[in-house]
Amino acid sequence: MPIKTLEVIRKRLEERPAELRKLRESGQKVVGWTGYNVPEEIIYALGFIPIRIAIGGDDRLVEVGGRYASSKNCVFIREIVGVFSENEDPYIQQTDILAFDATCLQNFRAAEVIEYYFKKDVIVLGVPRNFYWEEGKEYFGKEADEFARLLEERAGVALDLAKLGESVALYNDIRKTLKSIYTFQAAKDNVISWVEVFDLIQAGDLLDKKEYLSLLHETLAELRALQHNPIIEVDGSEGRIFISGSLIPRGDRKLISIITSVGGRIVGDDIWTGILPHLDLEIKEISPAGVALGYLNRTPHAALPYLDLESDRRLKKLHELLGEFKAQGVIYHTLRYCDPFTFKAKETKDVLAKSDIPVLEIHTEYAGSDYEALRTRLEAFVEMIKIKAESAAEVIV
Amino acid sequence: MANTDLYEYPQELREEFEATEAIQFRDGSQATAADVWHYMTEVAPKKYPYAYTQRKYVDGRMSRDIHLPSAIKHNYLLLTMNDRINKSRENGSPVIFVQGGQSVDPYYAAGGIALRPASVGMWSRGRHEGLGLNEEVVRRHKQKEKAYHAISFEACQTAGYETIQEGGLPVDMVAPFTCLRCSDISYGVEAHRHGPNKTLKLMNIDYPMRHQADKQWAVEYFVQNLRRLTSQIGKIAGREVTDDDLSKEIRLHNEGRRLAIDIAELWWSADVPPTNGLDRRHILQMGGMEIHGDPSASLTILRESKAYISERVKNGIKAEGVVDKPVRLFICGSCVRPNDFRIEEAGAIIVGNDNHWSDICTLVKEDGDPYRNLAHAILSYPYEQSVELRAAWTIEQLKKSGADGVLFLYQWGCNTQSAVARMLCDAIKRDTGIPTMIIEQHEGGSEQSEQLLNRINAFIEMI
Ligand code: SF4
Ligand code: SF4
Repeated sequence: MPIKTLEVIRKRLEERPAELRKLRESGQKVVGWTGYNVPEEIIYALGFIPIRIAIGGDDRLVEVGGRYASSKNCVFIREIVGVFSENEDPYIQQTDILAFDATCLQNFRAAEVIEYYFKKDVIVLGVPRNFYWEEGKEYFGKEADEFARLLEERAGVALDLAKLGESVALYNDIRKTLKSIYTFQAAKDNVISWVEVFDLIQAGDLLDKKEYLSLLHETLAELRALQHNPIIEVDGSEGRIFISGSLIPRGDRKLISIITSVGGRIVGDDIWTGILPHLDLEIKEISPAGVALGYLNRTPHAALPYLDLESDRRLKKLHELLGEFKAQGVIYHTLRYCDPFTFKAKETKDVLAKSDIPVLEIHTEYAGSDYEALRTRLEAFVEMIKIKAESAAEVIV
Repeated sequence: MANTDLYEYPQELREEFEATEAIQFRDGSQATAADVWHYMTEVAPKKYPYAYTQRKYVDGRMSRDIHLPSAIKHNYLLLTMNDRINKSRENGSPVIFVQGGQSVDPYYAAGGIALRPASVGMWSRGRHEGLGLNEEVVRRHKQKEKAYHAISFEACQTAGYETIQEGGLPVDMVAPFTCLRCSDISYGVEAHRHGPNKTLKLMNIDYPMRHQADKQWAVEYFVQNLRRLTSQIGKIAGREVTDDDLSKEIRLHNEGRRLAIDIAELWWSADVPPTNGLDRRHILQMGGMEIHGDPSASLTILRESKAYISERVKNGIKAEGVVDKPVRLFICGSCVRPNDFRIEEAGAIIVGNDNHWSDICTLVKEDGDPYRNLAHAILSYPYEQSVELRAAWTIEQLKKSGADGVLFLYQWGCNTQSAVARMLCDAIKRDTGIPTMIIEQHEGGSEQSEQLLNRINAFIEMI
């Protein structure tokens, strides 16, 4: 049975660009942000409308962006640059200020390119590579103070800590509700699919936050009415797939559509446009530094190097999520020239192999030329994990 | 019987060369010019025949400007790298893998030896004796393949993984400045965590970005990184590192930097190029005091080179192999460069480059807190600033060096410099009208591809 609120959300997304235009005409400003540790609560608390710039899937824009950056940048960054070059995306058109972070150096470079060629007002938040050192955290706290100061300058008001507290509470509620909804997609006899939840998560990048929260609550209520007690367990030979690796932004549907078309059921992810950034975000102090540290202390993004394999929290989280969602195989997705994830592909495969988890690495870009090749590989992989799951089930019987 | 395929230094040069300065090493020992001559004419041709190749266009071919003592001494230091580094390690100096384009003062202050990828490569190469050029190239490529396999085929910077993890090279620590100019280095450092060498220490010296030198908290953070670095090296070396150790080292390295700046100005002031492009690059690079793995040795060659170049400039002596009025090219970008022999054959000469020169040009304040002074200087490297600031500094170098054109080269797979290339070239053209060209180079041979060279030649002709 379709979830009615999802229809409402789709409609609201269609209306959103026109709505943003009107809000801007009435004096509100839109901050477009991209990166992996941008403390969005600060943007929101200052009265800006935050929207996330996470767009992909258009090979033509990649080509355009590459002319300003280079053909050796990741396809995601090239597309972002291409989008600013063409200025036709209805959301990008509405941005007044841009906020980038330096978690990934390619994102940092994209900020420079967009600032230089398209004369955009860009604020950049520095991110420590030694993020687990106390000194690194202190540096990041100061960068967050500076980030807030630069936004205050543009907002023309000082950051009110009471408003920041409200903002944190709102975002906490969004994260909590998303987590609850996410469980439903992985459940037996699921009433919502991972793809629908993925879309729902990404809708939050663009919609008004308060409205988004109430839509999430409505979605959750509907789900609860349809399924009282979602239980995550393996059901026969579903081919339960977990997606890991580079982000999959709005507009990039190639991998997801192939997986589902070959009969794979996606039950979880740890990608940075999926559920991962919403997990384990604990803000202990209401201040720019406090919010920023909450972000930095989550599962680290792959662009932040961690030098001890045994205690790597990214790999630990991956294992934890695989267990929680009872995944039977991992598709490790790397975008062309996305070094943070590509450099770790072999290592991740080796680590998962020790836990006897099948992994398929898919290295791809936004062009459609590899579609058939990917389909063949994914079909074989899904088939293989189904057979493996069936034989495991037989052994248990 | 002499191997006629190999280059031989002319015996008639011997007397002149043996009258030149000895190389003074950090441990107090020295190599007289006679020692150097003996090694380069008797020992090295047998040990390392590839270095004596007669093939004209091979990258790494030794300079033929035999009247310039530095040309021979520099190669002596490269070819003795294996013996010297092993000896220093045995005497208690840990070896630390670093990155090019960064200053190495803190590593030496803590009693270590800082080697960047090219020097680690030389050390590793020195362990394989008797190889001809082709064998050596094949060996190196095979080695690199292992790193690609263990990390990613899209990696250009593997942080020495192939030699340290796969090749058993006894490096003690991998601790480069990260973020600095290169996206891949910190991933390369991280990759070591899954290698077989479990005793290797790893550290990223985190280089904050975006107006970093103007942010007091960024400088403070970098100071803390440097303090952790010296303390960690000190632990391996079994000594406590004092602020005074760093102050002394800064003074020593500043002398190298000042000498390189003086030599560059002399070189650029000359009506005709006093050395070929290769020797110019080698001499100026010594100002970074890292290429030979022994700052004292680099310093003795720098001092001597300054005297030689002054003399040549005063007497209007033009380097052999350089045309009368060569097209003057300035090179931008990291890790790759065009072949000097080819450039000169086409009627041009390379007069400068931004990478490496950016850190060599940055003197460190000598009074006050040495960590803070060093952090501030490092965070001020022009190469690491926003594109407009980097362009302004590059333009200053173009003017000083009298450059007629700019080549921006980056390596296949390089995400960071490739992304800056067009912006920087556009800013240079906008402000100076100097023609620029961007070239992507694919690694894969000791001689550069015809296609690449044709493009460079066309650019030279156009100028
Ligand atoms: S993490 Fe990967 S996809 Fe994201 S900006 Fe960096 S290189 Fe691009
Ligand atoms: S080519 Fe670029 S990415 Fe590669 S090592 Fe050099 S600077 Fe780093």
